[in-house]
Amino acid sequence: MLWPFYLALRQLFPSGRWFPFFTVISILGVALGVALLVVSTSVMGGFGYQIRQMIVDTQGEVQLRAYGLLYEPETVLDEVERVPGVAAATPFAEGVAMLEFARKPAFPAVQGIDLERAEAVVPLRHFVRAGSLDALDDDSVILSAPLAQSLGVRLGSRIDLYSPLLLERLKGDQVVMPRELEVVGIFEIGHQQLDNALVLVTLRTMQELYGLGDAVHGINVKLAEGSDPDAVAARINTVLAAEGRPAQARSWLDANEDFLFVLQLEKNMIFFLLTFIIVVSAFSVASSLLIAVVRKTREIGLLGALGAQPVAVALCFCFQGFFIGVLGTGCGLGLGLTFLHFRNDVVRLFTELTGSEQVLARFYQFSQLPSHTARGDLVLIVICAVVISTLAGLLPAWRAARFKPVEALRAE
Amino acid sequence: MPDDFHNDAPPLPESASATPTTADVAAPILEARDLHKAFASGDRQLAVLRGASLRVATGESVSIRGESGAGKSTLLNLLAGLDAPDSGTVHWQGLAARLRPGVSGGARTRALASLRGIIFQSFYLIPEIDALANVRLAGAICGLPRKEAAARARELLARVGLSERTRHLPAQLSGGERQRVAIARALVAAPPLILADEPTGNLDEHTGDAVVELLLNLCRERQTGLVLVTHNPAHAAKCARQLTLHDGLLA
Repeated sequence: MLWPFYLALRQLFPSGRWFPFFTVISILGVALGVALLVVSTSVMGGFGYQIRQMIVDTQGEVQLRAYGLLYEPETVLDEVERVPGVAAATPFAEGVAMLEFARKPAFPAVQGIDLERAEAVVPLRHFVRAGSLDALDDDSVILSAPLAQSLGVRLGSRIDLYSPLLLERLKGDQVVMPRELEVVGIFEIGHQQLDNALVLVTLRTMQELYGLGDAVHGINVKLAEGSDPDAVAARINTVLAAEGRPAQARSWLDANEDFLFVLQLEKNMIFFLLTFIIVVSAFSVASSLLIAVVRKTREIGLLGALGAQPVAVALCFCFQGFFIGVLGTGCGLGLGLTFLHFRNDVVRLFTELTGSEQVLARFYQFSQLPSHTARGDLVLIVICAVVISTLAGLLPAWRAARFKPVEALRAE
Repeated sequence: MPDDFHNDAPPLPESASATPTTADVAAPILEARDLHKAFASGDRQLAVLRGASLRVATGESVSIRGESGAGKSTLLNLLAGLDAPDSGTVHWQGLAARLRPGVSGGARTRALASLRGIIFQSFYLIPEIDALANVRLAGAICGLPRKEAAARARELLARVGLSERTRHLPAQLSGGERQRVAIARALVAAPPLILADEPTGNLDEHTGDAVVELLLNLCRERQTGLVLVTHNPAHAAKCARQLTLHDGLLA
């Protein structure tokens, strides 16, 4: 071990002292900064990750939408499924309908799904909280949990569904009879906006409600592992154009480009702003080391008198900044990851104390605090913290290296 | 927590630790000529040294006495290379041989440090490390390999009577013990000359006598030269040659 390295460690952690105050304070400063950075980037990453996952889970990785209606969906499905990179595809029809139960109306979005194909593309079964997806047929419906709760609907309840097609019949002075459907399931995606206003029915029911015949509104596509969504969407568009289909495929990245950009921008801004916490803690490291330089002036002079070169003396203080950075980063990572592990307990405790249990779900769309720690983010945080702390040791190191031994030894 | 360190610099040449030959005995290790040094005192210059000259032969012990403020410490700093004279020269035998062409000022500092050990009145031990590490650190700074520095440090601490106190921090040692550690530290790189600046100044008379006796014995048995700055006439009398610094001149 080089002697500046050894001496740096010993000056930070002198023998026989369990609590080196200056060292602990400096390490704590860096640790808190790193912990905050880890928690905030992970939570921001979690929001982003959940939103991305929810988009993929509900729309597929590529969504093909018709300009109007897409006829001969089976033929188009065959064409799409033959495109390299496509793992599965499922047609859908969608629209808005009026739903009534016990004289309570609601206006949810209704999605008609092909039960045989849908599960290969979107993990619907994963979201069902009560009842069963298997029970869904042309005379039944699955509601989102908040919608079922607001209407007072339970499994087995029968609801009335009025489609816009009925308005056409009203114009023709026909008797309007709503479609009566039995509630066979209740689902919860976990996203407030979708959960509030979504109803799942079979594709055939939706086609009947909207008078679509065999046509659909689009196709959701699941990709093979590792496929690039943009590239596959482009290949599907080439096929669609060649076959003269009035539709366009867009990857989820492309369709939500602005939203994803804002998410990434928010995350980057938070990272950038919180990095200043580490910079501030680096100032505390620098000030602690500067105090150490002043306190140890005679020792620095002694090192010079013993033959130590100025660069070696400077290294000793640079190493101290480096050690503080490494230890502070390690502690901060531990602290941050521990907090993330217990984040929901902490948030629950906090919301119970402040009586704001509903606020999180209402305003932040999620029932639990999400977290997604990207390895790249952690690497960046570690590098930033260690480099900034080491740089904080440069000023004290430069000052120590400038001491002339004879003057330093005379210092009081 | 590491308990070990070494220097990646190459080991010192053999001449640094070798016992001088008979032919070397009379050769000067250090020759200072016509040293002048003045310090600014308000708006005038206060001349401290006015042409001091000194020649120390291999294995020779020289005492320097003088009144407080006579410039003894200033002279010692110039001899040690810690400060530069306004005029005059300090020539170290072997220094040129230790420096290859083009070496930096830092390398010169280290080469010079291996030619002389310094003992201070206030010991100046590093408080965060134990006695053994203090001695080894000086060896490492002078470029001794790790194992050699450790072996020499243990041997010297045993020689100064501190073999049972090697793991004690400076704060856990008495004044006399600290100065013994400082003596071991000064000798660890086996320099041909020791410069001691009032090494008994902070010790009681009995301890001071013992420390000086130890220092002289060690220098004698290792054929190491000694320049001893002291106020104590009895300590000065134990050296082979006694000089007095008066009016900036050595006599």
